[in-house]
Amino acid sequence: MRRKLAWALLAPALIFIAAFFVAPVLALLAGAFRVGDGFGLSPLVAFFDEPLHREVYWRTLRIAGLATIASALVCYPAALAMVRVSPRWRGLLTGLVILPLMVSPIARTYAWIVLLGRNGGVNALLQATGLADEPLKLLFTEGAVFVGLLQLMMPLMLLSLVSALENLPADVLAAAATLGANRWQAFTKVVLPLTQEGLIVGGTLVFTGCVTAYITPALLGGPQVLMLETLLYQKVNVMSDPAAASVIAVLLLVTTLVVNQLLKRVAR
Amino acid sequence: MNRLSKATLLMLVLALLFLLGPFVVIFVAGFSADETLRFPPQGYSLRWLAHVFTVEAFQRSLLTSLVVAFGSTLLALALGVPVAYALSRARLPGAEAVRLVLTLPLIVPGIIVGLALLNHGVLALNLPVTLSLLIGHTTLLIPYAVRVVSSSLANLRLDIDDAAVTLGATRLQAFFQVVLPNIRGGVAAAFVLAFITSFNQVPVSLFLTGPGVSTLPIEMMAYMETSYDPSIAALSTLLVLFTIALVAATEKLLGISKYV
Repeated sequence: MRRKLAWALLAPALIFIAAFFVAPVLALLAGAFRVGDGFGLSPLVAFFDEPLHREVYWRTLRIAGLATIASALVCYPAALAMVRVSPRWRGLLTGLVILPLMVSPIARTYAWIVLLGRNGGVNALLQATGLADEPLKLLFTEGAVFVGLLQLMMPLMLLSLVSALENLPADVLAAAATLGANRWQAFTKVVLPLTQEGLIVGGTLVFTGCVTAYITPALLGGPQVLMLETLLYQKVNVMSDPAAASVIAVLLLVTTLVVNQLLKRVAR
Repeated sequence: MNRLSKATLLMLVLALLFLLGPFVVIFVAGFSADETLRFPPQGYSLRWLAHVFTVEAFQRSLLTSLVVAFGSTLLALALGVPVAYALSRARLPGAEAVRLVLTLPLIVPGIIVGLALLNHGVLALNLPVTLSLLIGHTTLLIPYAVRVVSSSLANLRLDIDDAAVTLGATRLQAFFQVVLPNIRGGVAAAFVLAFITSFNQVPVSLFLTGPGVSTLPIEMMAYMETSYDPSIAALSTLLVLFTIALVAATEKLLGISKYV
């Protein structure tokens, strides 16, 4: 294909993305560094002077980090079992893991409101068994946001690990056993290092997904458990503070990019 | 089976229960007969499933969601398929940079895209809400279209369209009569994925919806803040069933899991 024709085919999409994505996003991000008529870092500093902002940022990192670790701990053994079932079962199970990714996150998150609300399933169970005398406050807590995000993001970790384990050569375990490794040694010295990349890919997807989540903290955390995106929404629609909104946009982007790079570095 | 295998199998079962259990909860709550949301419900009926069809805000926002999802999917394919074709058939010096630019909408959080478009486009140009949503969703869907169609083109032999051109077809004829029929599975899969992504989209839409014009997910979130009846559970039940049907049909026809 001639180059001129190729560029002609690329041009409409590139112009569209440049006009409606790149330019507006750069303009928004620039707002975080605007000081009077010039540019500087003082809006960033001013943002972090506010204790609430520090708390929200730290909470976002904490919840995302915990959800990433928890998803790895749950999904690694689950993935080990998944690659050992028969191919027919594995196909079915893969479908069951992918399906939730297609369903509206609102529908998926709403189930936790049904379970954790005052008249929800968990409180009904606690009261019926006498473990609690009156309904506990379970919704609008950090725990609720954590559980909701873990459920939302788990398929990404599970699928990454399954694909890493599937690519593991079948004979490495036999080789390790022949060379005298016990099962635990074979796992820590052979399987884990060879599937590290799946863990990194899954971890990056889950962490990024949690940091940039809106629906889950909005529905399960509310104004009491703000995360970066729900704080951004408040800054725009409740407090009309466009400078702070721009700073949060920069934080969201920088945090996800830095963590992406750090995890990639670990993989090497 | 030894103890270790049993332990991992147990973990798999628990993980699946945690993953899929909430869907059962939604179904049960959706068939509630109660005035307010409680679990387990004290009685069962179809009243809330019927009720959601009568709520005018849901009807209007569903229509907007469908229009935006169809429109942005078609636009993203119209812009993205030529990109995938050009990148697979021409050796360009800037191909890597083009790929990077066209993946950016997947990296930048949707809420930023929506807010940026509102502040630096929609307000200045005074764009109507539906058009703003259409543009915002399209920027997000172009990467999906490019990626899925590219992987479909990668499996297609390079020389079949060159053969058509040698035999006297124009490039345009070669594309529509030789290439497109061979990648229609990929294009259809891209269509379904993009449609679902737009239909479920919240962060990009958040700041772009306006007075009187909203998408279904945004309307559902607004409804939750003021009402505590089981409507949202019923509506979620319908959405889950609709998605299962759509995904099952697509998987049967195209094998969509190859492209996810």
